[in-house]
Amino acid sequence: MNFLQYPRPLADLIVALSRLPGIGPKTAGRLAFYLLQQPEAAESLAQAIREAKDTISQCSICCNFTDVDPCGICENPSRDQSILCVVEQPRDVAALEKTREFKGLYHVLHGCLSPMEGIGPDQLKVQELLRRLEGVREVVMALNPTVEGEATSLYLAKLLKPLGIMVTRIAHGLPVGGDLEYADEVTIARALEGRRQL
Amino acid sequence: MAVYHADALVIRSREYGESDRLLTLFSREMGKLQALAKGVRKPKSRQRAAAQLFTYGEYLLHRGRTLDTVNEASPKESFPHLWNDYDRTLAATRVAELLDMATIPGQIYPEAFTLTLTVFFLLEHFDPYLLQGAYALRLLRLLGYAPRLGECSECGGALCGPRLFISSAAGGALCLTCREQYAGRWISAGSMALMRQLLNGEMRKLDRLRWNAMMQQEILETLRAYCEETFERKLKSWQMGSAAVEGGGQDRDGKEGST
Repeated sequence: MNFLQYPRPLADLIVALSRLPGIGPKTAGRLAFYLLQQPEAAESLAQAIREAKDTISQCSICCNFTDVDPCGICENPSRDQSILCVVEQPRDVAALEKTREFKGLYHVLHGCLSPMEGIGPDQLKVQELLRRLEGVREVVMALNPTVEGEATSLYLAKLLKPLGIMVTRIAHGLPVGGDLEYADEVTIARALEGRRQL
Repeated sequence: MAVYHADALVIRSREYGESDRLLTLFSREMGKLQALAKGVRKPKSRQRAAAQLFTYGEYLLHRGRTLDTVNEASPKESFPHLWNDYDRTLAATRVAELLDMATIPGQIYPEAFTLTLTVFFLLEHFDPYLLQGAYALRLLRLLGYAPRLGECSECGGALCGPRLFISSAAGGALCLTCREQYAGRWISAGSMALMRQLLNGEMRKLDRLRWNAMMQQEILETLRAYCEETFERKLKSWQMGSAAVEGGGQDRDGKEGST
């Protein structure tokens, strides 16, 4: 899209906003005009972006985003140090933490294996995972239930099992509130596989 | 026609936007298609299963101005064996990537569709990398790029010696006299014989073939180079290699090229 009709700084702002995920040129234009009309909001947004960029880094242990290194979860002595939960993205840690069910530690891979896109183990935080296995008895795979997620789980299981570590993965099945009638056969098959005694 | 049906395989499924997936479908009637499956990354989406990689299903698509969208989808076969074994996942990924690279949208390839579907089914029980090699050779033949492996591609003369020369530019194997003019690579006579069997043997009897780790590496590397030079693009998943898991797919020792 051509932004030549706008002054250069405004055009630059629209271009920068339109590079963000899920934002097209029209939405970027609307956001840019809103920010110009709300100088306080613009100021606080700019400050928040700068502060996050300057202070947030990856935890040297779990590779999650953090403002202190090691992060609060890795430093917490009340958490079970012998269980690691492997997730794809930092936002998955937040999703799991919301449940308050998991009391162990996390490891963020920052992606999953995708041979077709050229993403191999070297592009993920696999070596970092292998370096922190001392005292770990169980590794829980909490990766997305996609072909790539499954491939990553299988790959990590092949690496970890010979080290005598129990490798588990979160259950696959029906979502809470979902109708059985509308579930696909793979989900129902997985749900049946993972059935439990009442 | 704003809405149309496609009986198709998902050969690529990429995350798109907040919760969508951009699917590359390979259909029997329409060849390669791209379509946006909206909201399929949400847990409650009814089309979630049909938008997964390697799924064979029935898709109802709506023609859009820039991108077609998936209106309805019902999976016919999800190939669970391609989810449960790393080597099978990798072989299927390589099959899908090669198909995606070798075909162009708007052209129909019914035989390539049948071949791909057959390979996805056979991957449940057969050596995944043997099937991958057979698939590459047979797809090349279907698309008119079949390498000549029985005699010299240049002069038609006999091939002899323990090491044989193969070149994509020449379109197959070359005798010692003709090889001077071409760039290519050397492979063992046993690997060349096995490649002939992979190309011409009966598909459902491929599991009777045996190869060792050296032959596997030699054949798959040769095929990768041949396909990359033929289609002038890199095969990322083929380069990654099963070496990602030590010993993965490398332990299938056996007699060289015997049936």
